Amino acid sequence: MASLEVLNLKNTSGRLPIVTKTIRMKKSVLFLLALLVAFNINAQLDRSTPPKPGPAPKVNIGQPASFMLKNGLRVFVVENNKVPVVSYSLSLDIDPILEGDKVGYTSLAGDLMTSGTASKTKAEIDEAIDFIGGTLRSNNKGLYASSLKKHSTELLDVMTDVLYNPSFPDEELAKAQKQLLTSLKSQKDDPKAIANNIKNVLRYGNNHPYGEVLSDETVNNIKVEDLKEYYNTYFRPNVAYLIIVGDISVKEAKKQAKKYFADWEAKEVPSHNYATPALFDQPRVVVANKDGSTQSTISLSYNIDLKPGHPDAIKARVMNQVLGGGSFSARLFQNLREDKGFTYGAYSSLQSDELIGSFNAGANVRTSVTDSAFTEIIYEMERMRTELVPEEDLQMIKNALTGSFSRSLEDPATVARFALNIQKYNLPEDYYVTYLERLNAVTPADVKAMAEKYITPDRALILAVGDVPNMKNALTQFARDGKVEMYDFYGNIVKALPLPAGLTAEKVIDRYIAALGGADALAAVTDYTMEGSMNVQGMPLSMKMYSRRPNHQCVETYMQGNLMSKQVFNGEAAKVVSPMGEQMIEGEMLESMKAESVLFPETKFAELGYQLELLGADNVDGQDVVKMKVTSPAGQDKTVYYSRESGLKVKEVSTSPQGSVATTYNEYITVKGVKFPNKLSQSVGPQSFDITYESIAVNEGIEDSIFAL
Amino acid sequence: MKNQFLLLAFMLFFAGIGLTKAQSNKISFEEYDLDNGLHVILHQDRSTPIVTVSVMYHVGSKNENPERTGFAHFFEHLMFEGTQNIPRGEYSNFVERAGGTLNANTSNDRTYYYEILPSNQLEMGLWLESERMLHAKVDSIGIQTQKKVVIEEKKQTVDSRPYGTLLQETMSRAFTEHPYRWTVIGDPDHIRAAKDEEFQHFYEEFYVPNNAALVIAGDIELEETKALVSKYFADIPKGNDNIYRPTMTEPPLGGEVRDTIFDNIQLPLILHAYRTPAMGTDDYYALDMLSTLLSGGQSSRLYKSLVDEQQKALEVSSFALPFQDPSVAIAIALPNMGVDCADLESAMDEQVNRVRKELISEREYQKLLNQFENTFVKSNIKLASRAENLATNYTYFGNTNLINTELDKYLAVTREDIRRVANKYFVNDNRVVLYYLPKSQQN
Repeated sequence: MASLEVLNLKNTSGRLPIVTKTIRMKKSVLFLLALLVAFNINAQLDRSTPPKPGPAPKVNIGQPASFMLKNGLRVFVVENNKVPVVSYSLSLDIDPILEGDKVGYTSLAGDLMTSGTASKTKAEIDEAIDFIGGTLRSNNKGLYASSLKKHSTELLDVMTDVLYNPSFPDEELAKAQKQLLTSLKSQKDDPKAIANNIKNVLRYGNNHPYGEVLSDETVNNIKVEDLKEYYNTYFRPNVAYLIIVGDISVKEAKKQAKKYFADWEAKEVPSHNYATPALFDQPRVVVANKDGSTQSTISLSYNIDLKPGHPDAIKARVMNQVLGGGSFSARLFQNLREDKGFTYGAYSSLQSDELIGSFNAGANVRTSVTDSAFTEIIYEMERMRTELVPEEDLQMIKNALTGSFSRSLEDPATVARFALNIQKYNLPEDYYVTYLERLNAVTPADVKAMAEKYITPDRALILAVGDVPNMKNALTQFARDGKVEMYDFYGNIVKALPLPAGLTAEKVIDRYIAALGGADALAAVTDYTMEGSMNVQGMPLSMKMYSRRPNHQCVETYMQGNLMSKQVFNGEAAKVVSPMGEQMIEGEMLESMKAESVLFPETKFAELGYQLELLGADNVDGQDVVKMKVTSPAGQDKTVYYSRESGLKVKEVSTSPQGSVATTYNEYITVKGVKFPNKLSQSVGPQSFDITYESIAVNEGIEDSIFAL
Repeated sequence: MKNQFLLLAFMLFFAGIGLTKAQSNKISFEEYDLDNGLHVILHQDRSTPIVTVSVMYHVGSKNENPERTGFAHFFEHLMFEGTQNIPRGEYSNFVERAGGTLNANTSNDRTYYYEILPSNQLEMGLWLESERMLHAKVDSIGIQTQKKVVIEEKKQTVDSRPYGTLLQETMSRAFTEHPYRWTVIGDPDHIRAAKDEEFQHFYEEFYVPNNAALVIAGDIELEETKALVSKYFADIPKGNDNIYRPTMTEPPLGGEVRDTIFDNIQLPLILHAYRTPAMGTDDYYALDMLSTLLSGGQSSRLYKSLVDEQQKALEVSSFALPFQDPSVAIAIALPNMGVDCADLESAMDEQVNRVRKELISEREYQKLLNQFENTFVKSNIKLASRAENLATNYTYFGNTNLINTELDKYLAVTREDIRRVANKYFVNDNRVVLYYLPKSQQN
């Protein structure tokens, strides 16, 4: 009964606070002892208070062995015998590269290293790695391979084949370019991507590698020769580190390194220096348009001078965690989300970097509070500079950082990264071993000092991407000169061309009708059928669209000839048929279908009760356009862009429950005297698809059954 | 589609047991029982200043009353509500303030709770888990809240997710006696109807030291940790000895069971579920390897044949459910557009027949061993997985050391064994066949 565990407990803390009570009872010793034991537990263990943590643990980071091969390759070995796995991480320590009119080529060179060698196809490389259950990855700064220790020979055979003999096959480049262009396309409507491009261009400039922007043009300029040249120039042992982590002795690692990497030929690698871009001397306020957006993606950002491993680095990180790190208790989160309800989340980041570090604070907020959100962010930034952070808040931040630091150490890759950083940034050998001690030594005064040094809202790029007309004017208060500039996706300034004097919305519509073929030609159309095809996530789909006067419409979608879905509007009611079943359409959606089913509604905008508002000049993919807000009789509005050159509609943006929907119209062709867009491209959120029409038939009659509900 | 499919595969494994894996580098541990029956497993690994504190309760959905399914999972939620000393909603805050993370999961066989903390917060983890074991808040406020949450969870993860009912539909046909016939999430009606005292009785019966394994793994001092374990757990009273554990043996299926399910899906799905022996038996290991042969990776039998060469399937997958009692091995295929389900099904059968007839090639066998060993070994890299594997091996097999020896069982499987188990278990009379079809094809 008086178990070992209980005895242990007594040893742990020998205090027996209930002695008086037991003596007063004057029972037998045995009984007394039993009581002691029983009471002891309850009395000693005050369960109502959570236990206090012990002293911050010292990190046991394996000290890596290090040696250099004759060709200049520096090798680190982190022996870790927990599991019989070994990994080889090869990384290049080279300066960032200015890519000029071929932005994207260095990353493609990295990606394609594993896409074929002189003796192996991509499929053969994959098979060889699969057979041993291993991993092999590449990028423009190196290679990573991992497997069970006993397969390390086969692994290194493939890894070094990739390292020495990559073939950069034409067809693999074409495939990669296509994928890159697809992702670029979806980025054009992504406010975060727009913001990143603008930040990079404005803060670093076009002549700095951090300021370069990927475009269709730069991607298409990339040739196999560029990849080969990059590979030949920079994949050299004299600028590389090889980190071997795992169940391997230093001796074995040395032997392998020599066998596999000693023949790698050294060659001088060019270094690149870039002028440090100047900081802003006052806040610069910039907006970018994301039509139909109900939110603004806002950020306040600037460059900082903070190199990795700098004595400020840890303190500055703590400071940033207090302001806007990932935790629920961070000030930006508490203020903008919990208190004001402007946003789902608001965060800040402080990045050190060898060339230029950066600070960024931002959130996605409702359009109407764009300016208020900036005001609150600046308020919190200023507060960091002027007030001491309470000890209790600081402690919680330190605890969270301690925890995530410690957990990250489990991954041997972290240990490897530390070894590399110590070497690359010339840090003290015990930098990471003492990291937690230094973290825990940070004081409120340190935090304030860091804020004074690194929190400088008066030098920031204040950027909002969203519905410009509804937020631009409110942002003038943040610019000392009251100037708010507008930029586009590529970081080019958007100069609003003045509209011709006397231009009205009605004139734009008249011109559009004339461009389509004229009111008479449009009036002569009683029905039309368009058949097209598109590709959705790799699956080819085809579609048929039927339209008939006065307002009948049907859209059918097919997959490999099988009808997948159908939307019908018969002038009164509408329904959707899909694999999920049939559904009648009601409410707002029905209203919207009703409005859209009218043939050439522009010809009777006034009669139908549409409201038009000329918004001004803009630019769509390099084309000068007139921008107009069109509000349907049911009150749904969309923004429509008409080419100033042709008068034709080139784009429209509306808002749906899934987010804003942007549709562009291209390559108009004439059928029976009326122009139809032959290509249509639509994006909803991150997804986009292109429809190409194979046939457009006018006035050939459509069976009634098509519109039957 | 692929994403959806991955989601499905994930969902099937949501119990998260994973296989108990072993390797050549020995994992050392100590284990002992407290007087109250709590089994304690200590694993020291001082390479990282973190500690995992976890408790595996040997209660899963199979321990439930058939009229009250979903209880074990319900407790997974309830146990975060708080305790006598931890105010409602504060349980996870203690962990986060300490710089840690926490979570829990439930399977048909057991429930698992864990915290990963900085090692100087070991005592915090012990306090939290002991509070949970000693006097969790099983009161009507918490029960009412969690009833709503759990019912919503079922809607989200089962009812409105394509193929979400797959496990439920399979198991209810593969089993008539054994409690594997219902799923972990259970029946919302049972949860709704359950009275507070039923939950309290469930807690009293199953969430007791003599039905639990406490695993502490990581940067710990062994003696100090033992003392702390006593401090927090020794005074927790032992529970009833007669904990309900189902012992019924499921009779043979006695012929193929075939059915069609109409669901809110776009693409049909074909499922074969073959009844299998329990985890830990020799045949189980061979069957597990057979499943990998069929669908592990892009060069596997089903993938290469049905997806690459014949292009009849969009995706294929097969796996043996890692359940403590005899359960099933499942093979799934999604037909490509325009491919007849029956046609795809016979292509699946053809591959299985091939394994039944021909020995697999030496190279394929070797690749299989390599793949197995690799996943196996890597599954013990993370401290948290090691802790869970230790707990599972003890809870299921009473053999904690299986973490060091189980790999041998896989490596001992021969090519002949794979052919033998294919002939013994992967036969029509021993399987459930389900066609999932779009609702639009109904009637």
